[in-house]
Amino acid sequence: MRFPDLSFREASALAIGLLFLLLTAAYLVQVQPISWRSGVAPPATGLAIRLALVSIVGSIIIQSVLAVRRPAEAETPADERERQVLARAGNWSGLVLGAGCIMALGNYLLHANGNLLFHGILLSLLVATVAESGFQLWLFRRGH
Amino acid sequence: MGKRPPITNRVKALREAHGGMTQAELGAAVGVTRHTIIAIEQGHYSPSLETAFRIARRFGVGLEDVFGWEET
Repeated sequence: MRFPDLSFREASALAIGLLFLLLTAAYLVQVQPISWRSGVAPPATGLAIRLALVSIVGSIIIQSVLAVRRPAEAETPADERERQVLARAGNWSGLVLGAGCIMALGNYLLHANGNLLFHGILLSLLVATVAESGFQLWLFRRGH
Repeated sequence: MGKRPPITNRVKALREAHGGMTQAELGAAVGVTRHTIIAIEQGHYSPSLETAFRIARRFGVGLEDVFGWEET
């Protein structure tokens, strides 16, 4: 089986994307059993802290492993194409985050459920991060 | 997004004509990654004017000997 030739930043985007995809799934699994309509789970401080810690530690481990395997690429700053990709992907993921937040706020205006607002905002953050990685991979491969 | 820019190039041919230069070697010479050279050769990316000049100077030819405009 032949793996595609990924650049350092493509490999980073893929790994980070998978990490946050797993975190998003883990978050939904933890919160989903409780009804979203009534009795929405209150903001789980412990869960949020664990998510934050795993995301930070996981990202550091991923970048460290990649840097050890490809030290020359890790030390080289992003070139002109990579900078364009990173900027564009960041811009698009910002739109995803904004859309998610607006939906969560709109839902709050309708239902005045603060717990749901919290979960909506947190989920938007997770989804936007996954989306950013996806956009980066797509732009790196497809070009412009 | 995804539409191929109307710019052709002879980067791969020139690179191979210069002693079988690798994509990594050309990338290092002009300040971009190997994957960016790949993207340029495949027509997926149009380099900046500065990088285009650097590529042409590396091959010792003029800019229009490396890059061209694709008439549609």
